[in-house]
Amino acid sequence: MLTELLDRARLLVVTGKGGTGKTTVAGALATAAARRGRRTLVVEVEGRQGLAALFGRPPLGHQETRVADGVMGLAVDPEESLREYLGRYGAAPLARLLSWARLTRFITAAAPGLGDILLVGKVWEATTRRPRQGARFYDLVVLDAPPTGRIVPFLRAPETVAELARVGPIRHQAERVRELLDDPELTRMVLVCLPEELPVTETLEGASLLRAARLPLGPVVVNRVSADHLGDRGGRLAALAREPGPLAEAATQAGAELDTKALAVLVGEARDQRRRVEAERRMLRELRAGLAGLPVVELPLLLDGVTGAAEVATLAERLTSDGPTGRADPAPA
Amino acid sequence: MTPARARKARGRAGSKVAGGSRLDEVVRTARIVVCCGSGGVGKTSTAAALAVRAAEQGRRTCVLTIDPARRLAQALGLDLLSNSPSPVSKGLRGSGSLDAMMLDMRRTFDELIERYARDQQQADRILANRFYQRVSSTLAGTQEYMAMEKLYELHESRRWELLVVDTPPTRSALDFLDAPDNLNELLDARMFRLLIAPAQRIGRGYLRGLNLATTAMARMVRRLTGSELLAEVGEFFAAFGGMYEGFRSRAQHVYDLLKDPGTQFVVVATPDAPALREAAYLAGRLASDRMPLGALVVNRVHRAGPVPEVPPEVVAKLAAGADDARLLADLLTQHQTLEALAAAEQRRVRELTASVPSLPTVQVPLLADDVHDLPGLRRLGAQLFA
Repeated sequence: MLTELLDRARLLVVTGKGGTGKTTVAGALATAAARRGRRTLVVEVEGRQGLAALFGRPPLGHQETRVADGVMGLAVDPEESLREYLGRYGAAPLARLLSWARLTRFITAAAPGLGDILLVGKVWEATTRRPRQGARFYDLVVLDAPPTGRIVPFLRAPETVAELARVGPIRHQAERVRELLDDPELTRMVLVCLPEELPVTETLEGASLLRAARLPLGPVVVNRVSADHLGDRGGRLAALAREPGPLAEAATQAGAELDTKALAVLVGEARDQRRRVEAERRMLRELRAGLAGLPVVELPLLLDGVTGAAEVATLAERLTSDGPTGRADPAPA
Repeated sequence: MTPARARKARGRAGSKVAGGSRLDEVVRTARIVVCCGSGGVGKTSTAAALAVRAAEQGRRTCVLTIDPARRLAQALGLDLLSNSPSPVSKGLRGSGSLDAMMLDMRRTFDELIERYARDQQQADRILANRFYQRVSSTLAGTQEYMAMEKLYELHESRRWELLVVDTPPTRSALDFLDAPDNLNELLDARMFRLLIAPAQRIGRGYLRGLNLATTAMARMVRRLTGSELLAEVGEFFAAFGGMYEGFRSRAQHVYDLLKDPGTQFVVVATPDAPALREAAYLAGRLASDRMPLGALVVNRVHRAGPVPEVPPEVVAKLAAGADDARLLADLLTQHQTLEALAAAEQRRVRELTASVPSLPTVQVPLLADDVHDLPGLRRLGAQLFA
């Protein structure tokens, strides 16, 4: 499912609850697509410089810049694009009176969604750009989008204002943007989740909000899933905590210097891990049940956090491999 | 520093000040505690755990939360419909009291309008205005501002000795510091005149330049959005007349209250790089606004227990052995993974604490279970105040 999506889609909109790793997943998706030979652009719109931090690059600007092999990056600055836009509509004299900062803030308030329209408009432009001399164009644009709570108003900002604005350039552009966003052949929403209570709840809410808004849903990516090294053998841990004799014997035979205390620490850590893994599986089951058939892709918790193109590439590989992350949900332990 | 505090300080890797005893002092003495941090770091649980601790130590406490997990909300008896605090009585120990409330942003804004309106008629006109309805729920920063507004209202009621509030998880979680300014700008009468008042009413002489600008502005907005929106905006500002002063002075009071030494900010993070970056930004921003910074809480820290190092060849031998030996090898590998994870986290936390040297830091180990009831909040508290 995911590889097919990476090969065919034109726009992937990555959203999710704050702190779930949207930027990381957006970067990994872009990297995975680039490795499959597609010209890829990854875009952020919240002025956070999350992509620069992720790929270990200097801050990105308004210009499209290479962030990894085959991946271009762009940070669309909301205030900067509004300034540019207002400038085109003759706002310069006003800005001299009031300062650009006040003017842009006021316009954002007076015409709600205008800032979002410009950001969505930029993404639309990059996605639909045609090859012509000198201009860079892309097979796939990955958008590191605002969080679930804001995603529908953000993507639908052009129409919201178009409802109020019966005329003018906004109305015209709103229709073009809608054509791109609503087409499941071109565009998919990717929800990022963690195997925890709040993110799962918010992902399910987000999925139904997106469905209600008729935005085409893609896979859900569950980030930072704890590894389970023990499998069925985890069931023995409780007995071993009471009576670590068998482990002590194995240690002695192999020449490992582990006293009872050390063995108790090892068993204790493994039991904590197992409880966590089981809690995560419960959350994953709840997620899958609530998503009614949407594919779920799991990404492992990486030891060193994800910083630098190499770690992003590791995740990209996990996204597209048929390895343990994509396996079916195991039966309840 | 007392000997007890010094001992704690020494015992805590990566921080110079004992965060636990600092937090203890905060909940015993502060009148307001503001928890801030990026989304998903455990702000709400931390705020609730601080409030439970204060209440169980005998203070009249109220916790104001924005977006709690459903089960935690249930445990605290939270009800979105009320928009006012209600007592959490079940299972609370000690002589204090705990109230909790969940912010209803829209209701809070409506209440603010009703408070400052001349009469019910003016309030009704504003509340029915489409532009108001849009702005009051969608304008960036409104939620932050309303959280602070509610905080101020609760503070003014003097019903509580301590108010604990968690802030919304915005992209820059301190937007509420700017929110009063932003809102004031929005409501500024001068802006309104510039935007929509007929040019001839503005005046003569030096204002002629302004006239030109006004016309340009009105033309621009009309071109962008059509005239209907503009009419709504115009009606809103007309209805809003006379309320600016009330809003402005209110916003100033809120800002002053946050700056008061009786207020303490607690920055919350996890050991993830983005959460720590946000925490560093927040600490810096609070310092530059001279806001009282109480402590940094790092939630969900991995810790590995003491296990002597086992040489790789011994682990390999175990891995090639019988069932028990293989299990032991896996336990050792898992432990080493945990050690590496814990070390990486400590590196990242140290980088942050080095950039904010005087900030007392508390690290809370990853709990095996979600926090969703009073005993859970007490367990979290035990870690926070350790």
